[in-house]
Amino acid sequence: MWQSRPGVLGWVMTTDHKRIGLLYFWTTLVLFGAGGAEALIIRTQLIQPNQHVVGPSVYDQLFTMHGITMIFFFIIPMTTGAFGNYLLPLMLGARDMAFPRMNALSFWIFLASGIFIYTSLFLGIAPNAGWFNYVPLSNAKFDPGHAIDFYCLGIIFNGISSSLTAANFIVTILKMRAPGMSFNRMPLFCFAFLAASWGLLFALPSLTADTIFLFLDRNVGTHFFDVAKGGSTLLWQHLFWIFGHPEVYILIVPAFGIATEIIPAFTQRRVVAFPLVAVAELLVVFIGFGVWAHHMFATGMPTITVVFFAAATGVVVIPSTIQVFAWCMTFITGNARFKTPLLFIAGFIFMFVAGGLTGIMFLAVPFDQQVTDTYFVIAHFHYIIFGAAVFPIFGGMYFWFPKVTGKLYFELPGQISFWLIFLGTNLLFFPMHIVGLEGMPRRNYTYPAGLGWGPENLAETIGSYITTVGIVVLLANLVVSWFRGLPAGPDPWHGATLEWTIPSPPPEYNFAVIPKVSSAYANWDYADREEDRRKLAEGVMVLEQGHEQPVSSPVDGWWAEIVEMPHDSPWPIVLALAISIVFILLLLHLWMGFCFALAGIVLALLGWHGEEPQESEA
Amino acid sequence: MATDYVAGGVPEPLVPRTTDARNAGEATILARRRLGPSVAFWGMAMVVASEVTLFGTFIGTYYYLRFNSLHWPPPGTPEPRVVVPLIMVGILATTSLPMQLAANAARGGRLWATRFLLLWALVVQCGYLVYEIHDYVDQLHRSVPQDNAYSSIYYTLLGADHAHVAIGILLVVWLLWKLARGLTMYRLNAVQVVAFYWHAVNLLTLIVIGVLLSATI
Repeated sequence: MWQSRPGVLGWVMTTDHKRIGLLYFWTTLVLFGAGGAEALIIRTQLIQPNQHVVGPSVYDQLFTMHGITMIFFFIIPMTTGAFGNYLLPLMLGARDMAFPRMNALSFWIFLASGIFIYTSLFLGIAPNAGWFNYVPLSNAKFDPGHAIDFYCLGIIFNGISSSLTAANFIVTILKMRAPGMSFNRMPLFCFAFLAASWGLLFALPSLTADTIFLFLDRNVGTHFFDVAKGGSTLLWQHLFWIFGHPEVYILIVPAFGIATEIIPAFTQRRVVAFPLVAVAELLVVFIGFGVWAHHMFATGMPTITVVFFAAATGVVVIPSTIQVFAWCMTFITGNARFKTPLLFIAGFIFMFVAGGLTGIMFLAVPFDQQVTDTYFVIAHFHYIIFGAAVFPIFGGMYFWFPKVTGKLYFELPGQISFWLIFLGTNLLFFPMHIVGLEGMPRRNYTYPAGLGWGPENLAETIGSYITTVGIVVLLANLVVSWFRGLPAGPDPWHGATLEWTIPSPPPEYNFAVIPKVSSAYANWDYADREEDRRKLAEGVMVLEQGHEQPVSSPVDGWWAEIVEMPHDSPWPIVLALAISIVFILLLLHLWMGFCFALAGIVLALLGWHGEEPQESEA
Repeated sequence: MATDYVAGGVPEPLVPRTTDARNAGEATILARRRLGPSVAFWGMAMVVASEVTLFGTFIGTYYYLRFNSLHWPPPGTPEPRVVVPLIMVGILATTSLPMQLAANAARGGRLWATRFLLLWALVVQCGYLVYEIHDYVDQLHRSVPQDNAYSSIYYTLLGADHAHVAIGILLVVWLLWKLARGLTMYRLNAVQVVAFYWHAVNLLTLIVIGVLLSATI
């Protein structure tokens, strides 16, 4: 069919979704290491009262960068970039994403934005006003210098990458499904990624606008957030949380998707209430757009506003609960085999329910106002973000490891890593509830002795070390298995979806024959797989004229056309470089150079569009 | 070759295949036979969705600031002019016609008609942008974004809209340059996609001007 270009150049110019997924995976893993190191320094600083491992200004930079890294540079790119990129086309029966070059562009922009924002940390001028960066703390008067400019530009820069990925995913899911895969035959994983992508596409512009305003306020002298000149400080918070709350669902809905793949494979049972779960995945994100102001109950909004957002927040519980019940019923009615990936999913459900319950507590407005900016909030969202978003990522790493590498991981160290991480995170985050209720404020670099917070903080720090050991065991297990693992074969788990029908690791073109799909659990439809093998032997549905890919109608999966996909291209990385130059010049206030750099982007785009897929074939 | 595969509704040999389109005539035949808009069109729909949301946020900000102010625009800041911007945006909106006709002409394989219609649209769009930039600079002599929150959002919103018009003009120039070397499947898709972009930009401009002029009410 077709082959990737060999060597480093093959990786730099690649448009193969699997290679881009792996590039994302390794990059986000490095950034996860950075964010984790920041967390460990924070925890070491708080191990006992009046510690002085780092000073307050460094501490500010550390917790800000920890938040930014884990949200924008680890979880989003890990779930959408790595898992989504690698797996979506495989599950949809497609040979690549809808826009393979744009996919490569998202990765290179993401990498550049990661380097961009981490440059600030190495220069000692990292963003230091918290990940939600409230004004007036972050305006030019109270935070002079480049720290917040790095934040504004880095967020916009990263947002471009995420928006491109989201657009690409939506079109891929709607248009690139194997003909015959109507919406009701699409795996739940894809519904989850569709939901998360819609969320990203519609939530990010709000953050982009917000950071543009702040950048203009700081560098041009506008007055968006300046109360003295008719601006509003609350405007920042509204715009930030209009993005920020959907963001939470963008983080966890892909994790739901991963769970809905692992559970059927290890219970050998179709997920209970498939349509309800599919709709719930979409609804969580949709309702998630209407609850943002519950982050702002302590700002003195009108009572009617507060009550509305508290009620809306209560509604989000319903689709989340539907999914939890469906997963639990699938466990109970199926034949659950608690291998490592399923253990992580069980841990995920436990953490999600625990974090969800503390989340519901915030609906009680006086309680919310009481615990705002205390460690109780930290405990709540780490249960959600670490427990509900990162646990399935770890489970997914184990689950798809045989598919990506063709090797089996080692089961016993896998289970050990789960228990270390599970016990470690609970020891790390549970005591935060207690100190939070006792009034320990977040973001203070130390605390005095005699308030009774010492033992809890010591336990939390020990928990963070145990979690770290667990993660190291997990990664070491995967690395060793990569070299020493037993061959996995195409389908070690008897998985449900199409990626298990093809060899491990998958060939460049994914599917030699466009698969027939008559249910959402395609790998369990033996007659269809038999027909695929027969068609491959007969040469039907092979589409061998270059990078060909069938396109379907968005809902019913009727054949629409067969298109030619772009080949490897140097332009994504060139364009990403041109965009990086624009952001660097903006940071340095070189406005003339900025205009020239915009011209550079236009030139790169011209080069990009100079080659047409049809032409390159002739 | 067996043709019994109908799970996607159509047997394989009957599905339009872009690699078969070697010239303009074949491309137009395929464009008529395929089901629904092209993948590129969906991509542009996503871009437009994202941009519309961005403008939605800007407009939301405009009204948020307005309803938090006693005087809008604040004393000392001139009100926006009404008549000329309305005429200009009306003229810009008419370009949706030649853009749509160009898309239809490309679909019908009428290369010269496509070029002519795009050129027609381009002239009007350039005229609009040149006038508007002149007007923007002119307004900057009377008030600047640094004056107050009203001017800040006024110039940001208007500037963002002009930027989208400018990008659209670059797209049309690029299309004309591409079409100078004939029509292919790719260029046919591109004309349809850019026409859609222009419909969106024209609508956005109408809304943005409407929002900005609402200060005079």
